[in-house]
Amino acid sequence: MDKELDVSDLEPPEPLERILDALMELRSGECLAVSHRRLPYPLFDMLRRMGHRYETTGEEGRYRILIWPSGE
Amino acid sequence: MIDTRGLSLDQAPPFHIPARFFLTAPLFVLLAGLLLLWEGPSLLASRWLPLALAMTHLIVIGYLGLLMCGALLQMLPVVLGAPVPAVRWVGSLTHPLLGLGALFLAGGLGYGLPWSLAWGAVASALGFICFLLPVTLALWHARGEPGTRRALRAAALALLVTLLLGLVLSTFLLGLLPLGNFTGWVNAHVIWGLLGWVGLLVIGVAVQVIPLFFVTPPYPALARAWLAPLLLILIVLASLAEVRGWDLTATLALGTVGAGFVLFALLTLWLLVRRGRRRLDPTLLHWGTAMLSVVAAFLAWMLNAPPTLVGILLLVGVGLGLPAGMLFKILPFLAWFHLQHRQLASGRFDLRIPHMGSLLAVNWARTQFGLHLLALLLGMVALAVPALARPAGLVLFLSGLVLEGLLVGVVLRYRRASRAFMATPAP
Repeated sequence: MDKELDVSDLEPPEPLERILDALMELRSGECLAVSHRRLPYPLFDMLRRMGHRYETTGEEGRYRILIWPSGE
Repeated sequence: MIDTRGLSLDQAPPFHIPARFFLTAPLFVLLAGLLLLWEGPSLLASRWLPLALAMTHLIVIGYLGLLMCGALLQMLPVVLGAPVPAVRWVGSLTHPLLGLGALFLAGGLGYGLPWSLAWGAVASALGFICFLLPVTLALWHARGEPGTRRALRAAALALLVTLLLGLVLSTFLLGLLPLGNFTGWVNAHVIWGLLGWVGLLVIGVAVQVIPLFFVTPPYPALARAWLAPLLLILIVLASLAEVRGWDLTATLALGTVGAGFVLFALLTLWLLVRRGRRRLDPTLLHWGTAMLSVVAAFLAWMLNAPPTLVGILLLVGVGLGLPAGMLFKILPFLAWFHLQHRQLASGRFDLRIPHMGSLLAVNWARTQFGLHLLALLLGMVALAVPALARPAGLVLFLSGLVLEGLLVGVVLRYRRASRAFMATPAP
């Protein structure tokens, strides 16, 4: 089950804040699917350290980032 | 775009360095406001009056100088991947030197005290040199967008020339150097300082932060790449013509520089109208007011209005307002950024750090903008209705006071969050 989050129109660092909030509320077995206008590099570093995995698709202006806990 | 991939805590200076610059700067707005409140309308009668010169230097060195230097020490690693060497030393030296320089220079110019003028000139010059040497090195190795690099290099060069011209003028005022065409030299100093250092830096920073802060389309590539270098060439021509007394060339070159800045201001306003985020935050209001002030200042200059009107529009409308608006974003962002890194370093992902938006009391920031706008309008009307000069000074003082309160608030919230971080044991 994916949880959707669109942060395309938000100014930094709100996308990062919203994504981290959403990850905290993620239930077991759920993925977070984020729509963003750019690739949030600082987030990727944090996800690695937090033990999450991610996958990105799309192009500049319209990216989709799928995030899930690495144990699942 | 800002390259956050290269952004690391090792490169960024510790939070207290830029914070020190940012917390000191508004104190000079308080002083400028008090000066106007104390002296009243006589201060606004001419740009040549000693106290008008004192007030100008309180604003341009005490407030603008501190803010621009403090912000650049922080921004160069972020925007251009160019960390400033020995940033702790630079911060520790530049901050007190510029602060004392502004005070002594204002005392020397305003009250005719040669010793104060000499100390002020030496301290300000040393403060800016301590800043310029490592910043030049950093800019030498800078990466990132070529247009921003050019604009920031041009601004740094303009600061150096402004500083040298300031030293020439000080030695003349101290009777150590004969100088023909004093007015031309002063005009050249003003052109390099206001249009060069402040103006080109605003352009360099705007092309990065306007699309980022307000989610707007980027500035047109041509303007991004060539506006600042073109303006720099025209500034060289205008100031040379001022010093040599070539009046027509000076007027034409200055008019073209002004038109270039008006083009930039209109472009910025056009981008702001097309922004993705529709809310009217205080930073946006300050940017809008500053850009309208640029257009108004150019029109006033074209219509031969009193130079004090052009001065108020540029110094208060742009010089005081725009950095205040930027601080409403920069300081909370820095606080948030350092908290975020603290969390990363400690691996304490169970703790929630405050959102950037909650670090600034945004309603008070709107009040600050309102007071700033009122001070600007009162200052302009006071040129025709002298009785309004003192109220303008009072409102200016209040706008500085609220600004200081807002920034102190951000730092206190940062400290509280930092302490909570360290005090709570890991689960």
